[in-house]
Amino acid sequence: MPEARALIVDDIASSRLLAEKYLKLLGWQSLSVACGEEALAAAINSNFQLVLLDISMPGLSGEETCTRLRALPQGNELYIVAYTAHAYPEERQRFLGCGFDDVLVKPVERETLTALVRAAFPSTGGAGAG
Amino acid sequence: MPTPAFLRGMRGKLIALFVLIKVVPLLLLAGFAWNAASRLGGDVSDKAGGMAEAMRATIGHVGKTVIDDSIRALDLRSREAIEALTVDTAREIADFLYDRDRDIRLAARQELSEAAFQRFLADHTRRLHKHGAWRLKADGKGWEPVTPVTPEVRMTRAILNDNAKDFHARPAEYLGEEELRPLFVEMSFITPDGQEKIKVTRGNLTEKSLKNVVDRKNTFLGAESYFPELKKLKPGEIYVSEVIGAYVPTHLIGAYTPERLDKAGKPFKPEESAYAGSENPVGKHFRGIVRWATPVLQNGKLAGYVTLALDHDHIRQFSDRLMPTEQRYTPISDASNGNYAFIWDHKSRSISHPRDYFIVGYDPATGRPATPWLDEELYAEWQQSGLPSDQFLAGIPSFRDPDLKRKPAAALTAAGSVGLDCRYLNFSPQCHGWNALTEHGGSGSFVIFFSGLWKLTTAAAIPYYTGQYGASRQGFGFVTIGANVDEFHRAATETADRINRLLSDKDAEFKAGREGLLSDIGNSLSSTALGLWGSTLVMVIMVIGIAIWLADRMTGRITLMIAGIHAFQQGDLQHRLSVESSDEMGELANSFNRMADSVEESFTRLEEARNKAEEASQLKSAFLATVSHELRTPLNGIIGFADLLHNELHDPEQIEYARIIHSSGEKLLGQVNDILDLTRLQSGEMAPQYELIDLPLLISEALLPLRTPLSQKGLNVSVSGIDGDLPPLHSDPLRIRQILDRLLDNAVKFTPSGEIRIEVSGDEHEIRIAIRDSGPGIARENHEAVFEKFKQLEHFLTRHHGGIGLGLALSRQLASLLGGYLSLESEIGEGACFTLHLPLQQGDLHA
Repeated sequence: MPEARALIVDDIASSRLLAEKYLKLLGWQSLSVACGEEALAAAINSNFQLVLLDISMPGLSGEETCTRLRALPQGNELYIVAYTAHAYPEERQRFLGCGFDDVLVKPVERETLTALVRAAFPSTGGAGAG
Repeated sequence: MPTPAFLRGMRGKLIALFVLIKVVPLLLLAGFAWNAASRLGGDVSDKAGGMAEAMRATIGHVGKTVIDDSIRALDLRSREAIEALTVDTAREIADFLYDRDRDIRLAARQELSEAAFQRFLADHTRRLHKHGAWRLKADGKGWEPVTPVTPEVRMTRAILNDNAKDFHARPAEYLGEEELRPLFVEMSFITPDGQEKIKVTRGNLTEKSLKNVVDRKNTFLGAESYFPELKKLKPGEIYVSEVIGAYVPTHLIGAYTPERLDKAGKPFKPEESAYAGSENPVGKHFRGIVRWATPVLQNGKLAGYVTLALDHDHIRQFSDRLMPTEQRYTPISDASNGNYAFIWDHKSRSISHPRDYFIVGYDPATGRPATPWLDEELYAEWQQSGLPSDQFLAGIPSFRDPDLKRKPAAALTAAGSVGLDCRYLNFSPQCHGWNALTEHGGSGSFVIFFSGLWKLTTAAAIPYYTGQYGASRQGFGFVTIGANVDEFHRAATETADRINRLLSDKDAEFKAGREGLLSDIGNSLSSTALGLWGSTLVMVIMVIGIAIWLADRMTGRITLMIAGIHAFQQGDLQHRLSVESSDEMGELANSFNRMADSVEESFTRLEEARNKAEEASQLKSAFLATVSHELRTPLNGIIGFADLLHNELHDPEQIEYARIIHSSGEKLLGQVNDILDLTRLQSGEMAPQYELIDLPLLISEALLPLRTPLSQKGLNVSVSGIDGDLPPLHSDPLRIRQILDRLLDNAVKFTPSGEIRIEVSGDEHEIRIAIRDSGPGIARENHEAVFEKFKQLEHFLTRHHGGIGLGLALSRQLASLLGGYLSLESEIGEGACFTLHLPLQQGDLHA
């Protein structure tokens, strides 16, 4: 089992921290960055399985970032999840349509994130989950 | 009955009125005139046609009467002639036979020697006529003489003018080639014990050797039994036999031609079938004898008997050459056209006939009479009896129920065994007629339809009474002559034809005249009709034209005004009516224009207000979406970190604080979601997703999150009606759940103690889910207010229950989204009952 690593992209620090904490409880290592550009740089330099990607950010938007991540050599292996406060169903459809694998609507309950990660990565364990 | 569209307008009504006043009387007048003219035409046609018809009928009737009378006269005259011919022939035959009586007496006085007998036979000859050799025609459809005889016809004319009127000469009759034939084929002397002592023969018909005739087998064909009769004869008495000859069967009845033989499936062998005159001139002839006998005395004592066997051909000569037509005599008999003569013996058996197979005869093999032609019924009886036919027939009464409907026995016809024995020929009723005419001597006639022809048939007894023939006045038998009726009233028929032709010519003339008259009348009527209806049509068109023009003039301004108002109605708010006059119409136009001005102004103001409202609404939506997004971001931190804190803290008091932060955050989130849902519902962005609802599951899931607050408050929840037979419900489970969540949340919130009841019911239209609490209740005047948006928001901080937020407003909107509605029953102090009504299918509950 390779080390489970997640990339968290959000311009709000508290949101990044919360995601980090939740993922840690699931046994994931994570790297947090504040904008799309940083996310792309991190993805080029390092391997991630999961990306939690905010939509409304200064600079590159979440959707644009997602498209660029997908364009990377390993882009199709990434499990990219929109991590956003945009709650309308049509917005969810839009995200899924432009390359996101799933959508987490803020506020994110721990159970929701846990269920999503377990469904996407059935083989990853996590001591802190529960 | 609905009014037709064109009559609804004033113009239509005006036109209709004109048409009614002017056109209807015009049409009525034209109708009267036409009716009178055509009735006159019809009367004239009928009368003229009737007159022509009556004239035609009169001529026809006169013609028919004349023809009938002349036919009748000719028939009677022909009957007389043919009856006379029959009687004369019968008398000739009788005379001929009496001559043979004389011959036998002469023979009895001859010297008993062969030489004397030879001389006797040589002295007794008679002329017979032969028709010579015939052959099949080249086309095989009949027979013709090998050398046709055209008798020399020398025209005879009246020398003296005194004789010229109706001078009618006939050439000498040609009866065929003449031949001198011995009268007798045999002359014999028989001893009293039956032994032939002397016998002289002519031809090969009879046996030449001397035999004892006591034994029937030794007689001609083994068929004679005259010896016992001879024994009874006194000196001078004469015995005369019946006609005895071998029966000659036929292959078929009628013309013997290869084609007909082929059809009958038999080989064409005319020489082996019976002779039948021109139908088969090369066939086998019937050859027979009639034997005369008388005792021979020597020295006053019986020395024996002398017999003479008459050649039967001499008897048939009397009938074979007769022709009951203008032709009178024929060289060869022809049975095919219904004109012929027959001879019948005293037992009504055929002894002379143009068709030899009809002459009764004996079977040479047995010496017994050959089976005559019988009808099917008699034939079947005979077959049943198992007896020889002569024995069987001896027990059958003569002329037993003869009828034209009877059919000849097919088996006998096929075998060609068709000898005519009138006594048993029960499909030929004329047999009985002939017998009736002649049984007491004399003669007569009748007409009968037989073999497809109307035939006059005559019969005359042959007055010859020697020996056994003296038993009845019928004598030797009778001659019958059959004549095709059409033949002898041909003259009358021809007259009839002429009259009928004349009649049909006249008829055609009358018809042509009548047609001409009728067509003249018809033409005259047509031109009358054309003139009458044409001018009527022109006048009608003119009247309608004038009516339309007048109506247009009268209604044109109104129509214009209506069109203007219509344009205004359709949205052309700038449209104004032109004011053309100062009368009522002008005033009306002015009033309309003033009204239009104020309407247009109002519309403009409304439009502006609506645009503003829409803008505001769009701004509100965008604002609320932003609010939602902006609230969710901090809520993510608040709820998330409260959760993390709750997990990480150990001090129960602090844990409780973390829980409060968490639940407050969630409440806030709920309010945010409600606001979002409400705006989306109002802007129509929320589309329900229909599926079959599992109501018990949905209710139990909705109750699940309430477990904690319920137990904290000690409230009971009961669910009823869920197990009954509810109809299937198609709706959006998510929206129902949202409604139930809010209703249940309110019920729990407002019920301090007691119970909450969930009652489910349904009918063919809807499902009802009622949530009844035992809370403080809601005053009737506030029932509507609880559903209003933001109502509770105003009192949010003042109410110790924390308010019900937007929940009921949203629930009401959601219910309406699903095609249903929310109802409320409540009184102060009596709890509240909110009922969600859901249609079984979307669209059911719009009434």
